[in-house]
Amino acid sequence: MKKALPYIIFILLLFWHVVLFAQDRFPRPEFETGHVYPTNQMPVPRAQIFEYIDVAVLIGALIITTWLALKKRSRRGLIWMSVFSLAYFGFYRQGCICAVGSVQNVSLALFNTGYSIPLTALLFFIIPLLFALAYGRVFCAGVCPLGAIQELTGFRPVKLPKVVEIILAFVPFIYLGIAVLFASTNSQFLICRYDPFVGIFRLDAPYTMIIFGALLLLAGIFVNRPYCRFLCPYGVLLNIFSRFAGKHLTITPAECTNCRLCEEACPYDAILPSDLEQKREEPEQSRKRFKLYFLLVPVFAVAGAFLIYNIAPSLAVANNTVRLAREIRTEKKTGIESVTKDVAAFKESGKTESALFEEEVMIIGRFRHSAPWAGAFLGISFGIGMISLSIRSKRSEYKPHQGKCYSCGRCFRYCPVKVKV
Amino acid sequence: MKINITEKDISILKVISQISGGFALIIAMTMIFSLIQLKTVKPLDNPALLSIKEQYDKDPSNGKLAEQVRAMDLMARKAYFSSRWQVVTGSYLLVAGVIIFILCQRLISDNEKLTPVVTDLKPDVLILRSKYRRYLISGVSFIFVAALVSSFFLRVELPDTSGGSSRASKSIETGNDKATKADKINWPSFRGQDSRGIAGGSGYPTEWDAVAGKNIGWKIEIPGKGKSSPVIWEDKIFITGAQESTCNLYCIDKKSGKILWTGSVSGIPGEPTVLPKTDSDAGLAVSTAATNGNVVCAVFANGNLACFNMDGKQLWAKNIGVPESSYGYSSSLMIYNDILLIQFDSNTKISLIGLELATGNQKWETIRHGHAVWSSPVLAYFSGKSELVINGNPYVSAFEPSTGIALWEMECMSGDVAPSVAVNSSMAYAVTDYAKLVAIKPGTSVSVAWEDNTFTPDVSSPVANDEFLFVSTGNGDVACYNAMKGDTLWTHYFQDPFYASPIIADGMVYFLDRSGKMHIVKAESKFTLVAESQLGEATDCSPAFSDKKIYIRTKKNLYCIAKN
Repeated sequence: MKKALPYIIFILLLFWHVVLFAQDRFPRPEFETGHVYPTNQMPVPRAQIFEYIDVAVLIGALIITTWLALKKRSRRGLIWMSVFSLAYFGFYRQGCICAVGSVQNVSLALFNTGYSIPLTALLFFIIPLLFALAYGRVFCAGVCPLGAIQELTGFRPVKLPKVVEIILAFVPFIYLGIAVLFASTNSQFLICRYDPFVGIFRLDAPYTMIIFGALLLLAGIFVNRPYCRFLCPYGVLLNIFSRFAGKHLTITPAECTNCRLCEEACPYDAILPSDLEQKREEPEQSRKRFKLYFLLVPVFAVAGAFLIYNIAPSLAVANNTVRLAREIRTEKKTGIESVTKDVAAFKESGKTESALFEEEVMIIGRFRHSAPWAGAFLGISFGIGMISLSIRSKRSEYKPHQGKCYSCGRCFRYCPVKVKV
Repeated sequence: MKINITEKDISILKVISQISGGFALIIAMTMIFSLIQLKTVKPLDNPALLSIKEQYDKDPSNGKLAEQVRAMDLMARKAYFSSRWQVVTGSYLLVAGVIIFILCQRLISDNEKLTPVVTDLKPDVLILRSKYRRYLISGVSFIFVAALVSSFFLRVELPDTSGGSSRASKSIETGNDKATKADKINWPSFRGQDSRGIAGGSGYPTEWDAVAGKNIGWKIEIPGKGKSSPVIWEDKIFITGAQESTCNLYCIDKKSGKILWTGSVSGIPGEPTVLPKTDSDAGLAVSTAATNGNVVCAVFANGNLACFNMDGKQLWAKNIGVPESSYGYSSSLMIYNDILLIQFDSNTKISLIGLELATGNQKWETIRHGHAVWSSPVLAYFSGKSELVINGNPYVSAFEPSTGIALWEMECMSGDVAPSVAVNSSMAYAVTDYAKLVAIKPGTSVSVAWEDNTFTPDVSSPVANDEFLFVSTGNGDVACYNAMKGDTLWTHYFQDPFYASPIIADGMVYFLDRSGKMHIVKAESKFTLVAESQLGEATDCSPAFSDKKIYIRTKKNLYCIAKN
């Protein structure tokens, strides 16, 4: 029963939340009785102190999760942390502020001098990365509400074919590149807009997103943590930082006996097998390949930069102004009057079409300017990925892949080695 | 603590889990349907309700209809709320289904024995890595190629950043048949680049007061009188003036207002001994000069024409014949490539003349039909080609600017035609008082797109971009039309009449009335007055815009308006 308790709480949270389903609106009735409608009330802004409390909670949760994952080695404790984070950062804070989305605040601040990044957004961006640098992806283990909701529902793990796993693993890099491009051009916060779970946290999102989130959770029962593995852009950064972690979760509490029991334990394919009794590749061949990929990294970077530069004007449609301008142009071209709210609002505004088109051209220019950087990042990431697959490894034990491991502790119970505390 | 569950219990749990899962799925589908209905169906847009409302609007005293409207309105709202109730109830049921499903699955999985899988053979890392590299290369190559190919396919939808779609604020680069942005420094002819009345750049002053000296850069007295407007190239301003039969071209330093040199355009062979009939206030200097940065040319009402280099050296001069007309000659010059274009309007002949800019020799002359007018040529850019459009009587006509070949004409004007045409990327707009305002779709099958006779200027030329057409009349009215459809978007009465032509600059339209007051209005579909600034002197000349400054000629003076 104890094991099931966190899940019951999680479900109760969902249940409690359903009653907050937002009211849809349509024109008010016309009263002839002289009834006066009450004036609309605006919600009072959240007090500053609560933002600092959020940061404190984040730090506290990270410390506890680190202790549970690295020291206590308690899978159950991590599940409890997931429930807490889901309750606090998910349902109470309704998925905002979150470290995943803070990538965009940072991008916007870096490329737009007019934007002043909130301190909390900056801290939410930096702190989990610092923890990753020190202790691995403990943020994913029990602090991230998006990870938590998937961790709690992922109990029938099925391994994906390796080819699918590898190709899909590149998607977060693309997503990160595009999201940073969109944010830096002040176009939109893509990550927040297409956050699949925020609609569940708030029960107030386009129903397509609620359905997407529900389907992702459903798929996550079998293909565990699908968002973390194949979409999460912040996970890319955590992956990079975690590779340099000074201390990381281990599968075994003591010395690995190479019993191989944990070999298939990780649903995320994040366990690196030991190299004992393995054939060694010719050092010369390995070196040659390494050199080749190393020299190709700039080529990949240039190719990526060219690709995204070339596609930038098409990507610019993510910007509302660009989309509006294209709509207006289509309207003129086809002679069919557009009835969208955006076009109607534009016409009401009195702004000129020429000013709109000028702005469109300017925004596309900004996309063109920023796109090569995003492309170069993707090219370099690909190159480094290839290099990492070419480096000779020497391992005498089974250990987690520091970049891919979510420190979820699923592998703990597979290890027969026990230590007396 | 662990709940011990038997094999039989697990079988039961599996069945419960399947039922609850299926139930949740059905509920989810129903909810999706209801949500779509809620999002797409607007209860008050019910056709039956709208129809009965319409009937009621026609017969508001009909109490029975009123009752029916109320009943149907209530019914529509009830239907909407019952859909909402279904969604809310569905949410509870869905959550209940999901709870049972997750709990069952959890209990099942918790009671499953841990069965670590150990394969017989340890996976060969070398082979695996080689496979992974192949997968990665194949996957990324596929994404790269797909993205690259789609980027080329999507390219067709890109806006024409060289000026195609936003040609409203663009003008034609002389001689290249290519749309370019209106120049922010040079103002080479009457009403600026291509005579279209559109200024490049931004940050022009909106508020000034010449009497109080607010935002006045400098002010100088022009030695000769005239009604010509200034033209500008880089740091030099050129303006014409005349005293009786003495005609001069003045070059003024843009920064200080100091006259740098004066070029005489008098004493030219063929010059008439008797002055032609002109407006007494204006004299001979009504036509605005033209420059291309290498030369500057000026023409006067006695037919004297001269070209100077930028340092004031006369390159050539000639008399093109006295253009006799009731108010005096007033058409301004235009330079197109290496040709000086002269709209020659006289009682005896009306034509378009092309002179070699370097020598003054005539390259061609195209005789126009109709009567003499006082408008000036405007360079337009239609369907990828440059066209010189002239507002005439009765024909509005277009010519190929390098050869003078007539392209099209439209018979639509009458009376004394003084305003020049306005053009945008697809239409020309001709107007004159006591006639009408006509929007012309150019081309071989030239046609009238729309016309109106409410606001018809007698002197001031209209100005247009792709969206709006602005006119200012001799009665003090200003109007904004939808350039494509001809709807009157707004009008405003400013009391003082307008002779100077309005200029579009930095999203605003500058209307200068005869009293010297500039009315600055947003170039938008709604009337928004930005500012009104007084010069304190009467003027009929069109302003020139350059580098965040405005230059206005009054009866005696030339003002530089610049933000202090």
